[in-house]
Amino acid sequence: MPADTNGTVLRLERVAKRFVNQRTGSESRALEDVSLTIEHGEWVSLLGPSGSGKTTLLNIIAGLELATSGSVLHDGRPVVGPSADRGMLFQEYALFPWKTVTENVQFGLRYGPKGAGVSRAERERRTSELLRLVGLTGAERKYPHELSGGMKQRCALARLLAYDPQVLLMDEPLAAVDAQTRAVLQEELLRVWGETSGQRKTVVYVTHSIEEAIFLSDRVVVLARDPGRIKEVMGIKLPRPRMSELRTGSEFRQLVQRAWNLIRDDAYRATLD
Amino acid sequence: MGDAVGHLSLGRVLRILALPAALVAVWQAWGSTLATTSRVPLPSGVAAAAWEMITSGDLQLAIGVSLTRVLLGFGLGAGAGALLGLAMGYLRPVERNVDPVVQTFRMVAAIALVPLAIIWFGPHGQAAVFIVAYGSFFPVVVNAVTAVRSVDPTLIRAAKTMGLRTVEIVRQVVMPAGLPTLFVGLRLGMGNAWGAIIAAELTVGATAQITVSSGISSTATAASGGIGFLMFYLYDNRVDLSQIVVAMAAVGMAASTIDRILRFAQYDLIPWTRYAR
Repeated sequence: MPADTNGTVLRLERVAKRFVNQRTGSESRALEDVSLTIEHGEWVSLLGPSGSGKTTLLNIIAGLELATSGSVLHDGRPVVGPSADRGMLFQEYALFPWKTVTENVQFGLRYGPKGAGVSRAERERRTSELLRLVGLTGAERKYPHELSGGMKQRCALARLLAYDPQVLLMDEPLAAVDAQTRAVLQEELLRVWGETSGQRKTVVYVTHSIEEAIFLSDRVVVLARDPGRIKEVMGIKLPRPRMSELRTGSEFRQLVQRAWNLIRDDAYRATLD
Repeated sequence: MGDAVGHLSLGRVLRILALPAALVAVWQAWGSTLATTSRVPLPSGVAAAAWEMITSGDLQLAIGVSLTRVLLGFGLGAGAGALLGLAMGYLRPVERNVDPVVQTFRMVAAIALVPLAIIWFGPHGQAAVFIVAYGSFFPVVVNAVTAVRSVDPTLIRAAKTMGLRTVEIVRQVVMPAGLPTLFVGLRLGMGNAWGAIIAAELTVGATAQITVSSGISSTATAASGGIGFLMFYLYDNRVDLSQIVVAMAAVGMAASTIDRILRFAQYDLIPWTRYAR
């Protein structure tokens, strides 16, 4: 666990989610008895095969879905709906196609509660600073359809940081980009997160890539399926800042192997659905 | 920026005019083989009639009157349609209750409302405006519902995680995201409006003719009742098919010009769809 933690930000207590199939009436257990605490400044990944409920769990933390039973506490208060204190990064980027890069980045500040008391000048200053941080300077006036997948996710990241949420939720944000872009953006995410500065936000990151989860995280929550549940929580004590050379090291390979051993059977069964 | 659709080069004008010119030539050639007693209007006769109607000012007057009614009726019908469609698309209970009514009335052609309109508003322009509003309402309502429904749910989720209130989500996400689909409805609605105005003015004209009996004695008076009224007058009093063809062509040109303006507006208002798809 990182040295700069100061308390629990998210507390999940026996969270369960059941879906009822409207047509057949049969019930499926997407999540069962998930308990987990996440500390301030920690990067926690939810790793599991498809059907393990990792995205459902993230949506429940976001407040976009409600748990069937159990509770999620953010700073001690129960989560009952979405909030600008828990921002989200989406696999499909979710950029507003009618807004330019700049307008997308400013969206949360202009129309959401976090913009109250933020002057226009401050908004402009923050926007250009963030665009520089994510490497989008020069693309301010482009529309999303003019951007590559990697640039879209950079823009979405700047938009997320612009309204300064306390917790960053990321739902497979790099699953739709090609392998090289993914490797680059993994390091970019860590850099922007503040790996070197110490001013880290709490991150909950959903992925089905074992290597990605281990490369990025302080802890990896390995989920099993049928029902979706926590199989094991792996602490990743690799030193930061993490560079791509790390991926070939023996410690990294051993962690990958251990995680694979945990999910192999479930991953196999997921291919038979 | 406007070059992609706006620029009219000579080549483009020639390409646009080639087919109509060929059709007119075939029409004239075929007509000249017929006996002189036939009542088929020919391009030469139509051109002469057009000249007469334009120099007298009757054509412009009639089109102007009808255009005003179309714009007024369309504004009322499309505005109401867009608002109701937005509510139906976003609020399930509204949709569940209103949709059966909309779907039933949608099938009733605007012209079927002429008797009601005339009894309610009298044989005047108001009846025509009402019928135009009715005709343009339905395509807009139906497409507005689709527009709201087809908004990418991830965009709404993204706005929710930024803490936006529902009102802001509707204003900042649902409305702009639905605009391209709404425009489909607006263009269809405008087409219906032109169909409705001719039907309405023809019948309102017929009714007025009966009520005032011999009150309408000149083309100019008829023209002040709109292009449909003028067409009825030409049919009833003069049996002048060439002038009726002029009126038809004028409607076609006015309607397609309005449609073109809508397309330009769409291009200007929705810049993000210029290159996409």
